[in-house]
Amino acid sequence: MIASLLASPGAVIMVVGALVGIASSLLGAFLVLRRSSMLADAISHSVLLGIVVVFLLTRDHHSPWFILGAAAVGVLTVALTELLASSKRVKIDAAIGLVFTFLFALAILLINLLARNVHIDTHAVLLGEISFVWLDTTPLAGLEVPKALLSIGAVTLINALFVTLFYKELKLATFDPGLAAALGFSPTLIFYLLLSLTSITAVTAFEAVGAILLIAFVIVPPAAGYLLTDRLWLMLLWGGLISIASSILGYLAAVALDASISGMMASVAGGFLALAFLAGPRYGLVAQELRRRRSRFDNAERMLLVHLYQHEGQPGSQEERRVAALASHLRWRPREISHLLQHSLDHGLVTRGPSDTLLLTPKGRVLAQEVLEPWRG
Amino acid sequence: MLHEPDLALHIEDLTVSYHSKPVLWDIDLNVPPGVLAAIVGPNGAGKTTLIKSVLGLVKPAAGHITLFGRSYREQRRLVGYVPQRASVDWDFPTTVLDVVMMGLYGQLGWLRRPGRRQREQALVALAQVGMEHYAGRQISQLSGGQQQRVFLARALVQDAALYLMDEPLAGVDATTEQAIITLLKTLRSQGKTVIVVHHDLQTVASYFDFLVLLNVRLIAQGPMSEVYTGDNLRRAYGGQIALLREAEHARA
Amino acid sequence: MLELDFTIRTVALGAVLLGITSGVLGSFAVLRQQSLLGETLSHAALPGICLGFLLAGGRQLGPLLLGALLSGALAALLVLLFIRRSRLKTDAALGIVLSVFFAVGIVLLTYIANQDHAGQAGLDAFLFGQAAAMLPSDVALMAWITILALALVLVFWKEFKAVSFDPGYSVSLGLPVLALEVLMTLMVALAIVIGLQLVGVVLMAAMLIAPAAAARQWTKGLGSMVALAALFGAVSGLAGALVSASARGLATGPLIVIAASLLVAASLLLAPERGLLPAAWRAYRARRKLPQQRVLIDLYRLAVAHQDPGYPIEQGMLASLYGFDPGAVLAQLRRQGWIRPLSHEPTEQAHWALTEAGYRQAAELWGR
Repeated sequence: MIASLLASPGAVIMVVGALVGIASSLLGAFLVLRRSSMLADAISHSVLLGIVVVFLLTRDHHSPWFILGAAAVGVLTVALTELLASSKRVKIDAAIGLVFTFLFALAILLINLLARNVHIDTHAVLLGEISFVWLDTTPLAGLEVPKALLSIGAVTLINALFVTLFYKELKLATFDPGLAAALGFSPTLIFYLLLSLTSITAVTAFEAVGAILLIAFVIVPPAAGYLLTDRLWLMLLWGGLISIASSILGYLAAVALDASISGMMASVAGGFLALAFLAGPRYGLVAQELRRRRSRFDNAERMLLVHLYQHEGQPGSQEERRVAALASHLRWRPREISHLLQHSLDHGLVTRGPSDTLLLTPKGRVLAQEVLEPWRG
Repeated sequence: MLHEPDLALHIEDLTVSYHSKPVLWDIDLNVPPGVLAAIVGPNGAGKTTLIKSVLGLVKPAAGHITLFGRSYREQRRLVGYVPQRASVDWDFPTTVLDVVMMGLYGQLGWLRRPGRRQREQALVALAQVGMEHYAGRQISQLSGGQQQRVFLARALVQDAALYLMDEPLAGVDATTEQAIITLLKTLRSQGKTVIVVHHDLQTVASYFDFLVLLNVRLIAQGPMSEVYTGDNLRRAYGGQIALLREAEHARA
Repeated sequence: MLELDFTIRTVALGAVLLGITSGVLGSFAVLRQQSLLGETLSHAALPGICLGFLLAGGRQLGPLLLGALLSGALAALLVLLFIRRSRLKTDAALGIVLSVFFAVGIVLLTYIANQDHAGQAGLDAFLFGQAAAMLPSDVALMAWITILALALVLVFWKEFKAVSFDPGYSVSLGLPVLALEVLMTLMVALAIVIGLQLVGVVLMAAMLIAPAAAARQWTKGLGSMVALAALFGAVSGLAGALVSASARGLATGPLIVIAASLLVAASLLLAPERGLLPAAWRAYRARRKLPQQRVLIDLYRLAVAHQDPGYPIEQGMLASLYGFDPGAVLAQLRRQGWIRPLSHEPTEQAHWALTEAGYRQAAELWGR
């Protein structure tokens, strides 16, 4: 069965895409929580410099040095950025924007000057070419396995291992670096490890999805997860699931439209995020609006009760006058007030008294007092 | 139509909520003109939100506000605002005089540039806070107390009738604190109304003559001598007894 | 006078216009800490460029730039929407919009390429910039946009200044802060759109940041910062564009960005007040001056304690006070005229006293 999977270019592409997504989103969850999304964007651009330099030194497409070069440049980017910002002459956002663009520009310049006649063309740099990954194979256990699958699979495993082994440390370092330091392990070290792995993932995924689309997979699925849940492990899970779904749907759409596969995969991930943003059960826009209406209603009901309480026993407790007064006070239409009133009546907070007056029930009075005198008991 | 024209600030039924939690609930506040009023309450009590509501920076869920009988929109010229120092990046490339002149931008209208008259007005305001020698200084070179004074001068230059200040005495040195209080008392003697969010229970009774105790709801308001009681403070601050004992002793 | 050929002159002019606009508009973006918004908007311009191409039926700069502007504006709106209406923080909102819009752009780009190979070459130029492809009509369009941008800044100068410095307070002044902030954000989009052809989508963000960051190191006021940023931008643009146009196969964008980055580095190191090297030098000199100042002040305090400005102090006493022989420092002070040696018996230690000038100098130091 594996053999038939490997023989189908579509299947291989989808698996590679999904693995890139999973590998990226595992790390991306922590980067998003740590508010370092743009730093990840910076790294995804500047790793190119590492690739170019290693390539120029080794002239080998598949040197293991690429991994090292990528990690080094990733660390360099962040270190330089933080150094620049710590000088206080430049703010952190400007520092990020200055450092990685300079490194990236250097990389392009080197390519233009020294590597023009070889296999690094700037187009591929940005976009990768995932459709070719199934061609470049190597024999393994009697099968022809695409190299990209192996390398990305390895990186996915490493990232998963890292996140599992250091789960508690990562969690603490992300949410409370001060406490982490006080407990004796360095949040800075963890952070740099995280970024190094991101750089390595970038370089490995480079061929498939290109440096720039990688950032979509690092940020978008975890961000969607963030909108869907409060639990860290669920956020990681959502990130993985959305990556897989985006990979499959993206591939199918790209084939149908005859357009960039990796671009489509990233676009579909964006679609999932939009969905989470709008329809997320807890934090989606729709859910928020429903909550807002609910609380507006509850607030208004409390105000109604307070209002009645404050005017209890006074002449003019007729429903009509109360409704009119409340309407002007809350700037609501009388019809909305009546609806509110009906709700209070139904829930036994208010009753109608003789000659059309409104009276608080004991239950209603208690609620009104809670609001007016919160310091009591 | 005028609504309570005799009051510098009149707030009725003000309710502000944030994410379905009430930050200010059903506030009724009446501040007469010519007082030096302090708004005091624990953290999260809604003090800054109250100021921002008056200025229209925050949208209330209910209630309305008038200043000298009219809406804020109509009375904007009469109100001077001193926000918290931390609301600004002090590394901005501008001088002390420049910042103070910004207080006049509203009056200048579109297209007009600040000229010699505005410079003079700004220098006068700086002199009122004792900073006239710092006019050309870069704001990044100022101490906390000096920054606060510049903010004050920026509001003073508007020659308002009502001043709203958010924690102007927080984090300034003792000399600056005295200078600011003296200035506020001078404003009061000129018939201005000054409403200040104040952070320090120890000094509030000696600095101010009108007190507003706030903790999401309005706990009490009125002349200092009437309102500054142990009972009211306890209601506003909950169980922070040690704090209150000190405050009561400070007043005695 | 060097005879520059027509292409190079066109490119040079375009680059200068680009530099001026990004310097001026970028100053406000940087001061408002919206540097990364530029990064997002420049990547987000790609789908707009492609749509402009599709709708106009070919590479015509006007529709392409209009598409870029609209796409950028939409992106800015979405970023704001994400921040205001969800838990997402600024960095995540920027990253999401950046990457997804860019991805959509890539999809459109490859779709166009598969329909029309020539078109793709034209659009590819927008990824890293291509000086050689500039036409005089392109430069004319850029000039109009530049004029518009500068006019806006001139007209709304004090309002932009107030809103950038203190938006909350500006509301109390009666300024329409929201509208002004929207306008300033649109100006960021405009600045990016101008530079896309020369610098490309990927690197344009740097042009928004670098000239302004460099200029900030040299100035005290907003006006001089903006003017200097325009100059730095023009110089970087010119340098990069000339080198790129004169050599074959060198993309323009990277060269301009490298020129601008070098200007930033130079400014950070050398600017007289804020520069790191002058600051280090000043710190070094202050450290060196310290022993002198310390001894001078100690002499002063002794003189004051004895109510005698000319009070004689024995060198040995100072030596035991400091734990080392202050002979060298005393010699320096003597050379400066702050102290003078007093005559003494050969068997006694050397004695020193403050001179009048030294007494005054010490008093001033002490008073500080």
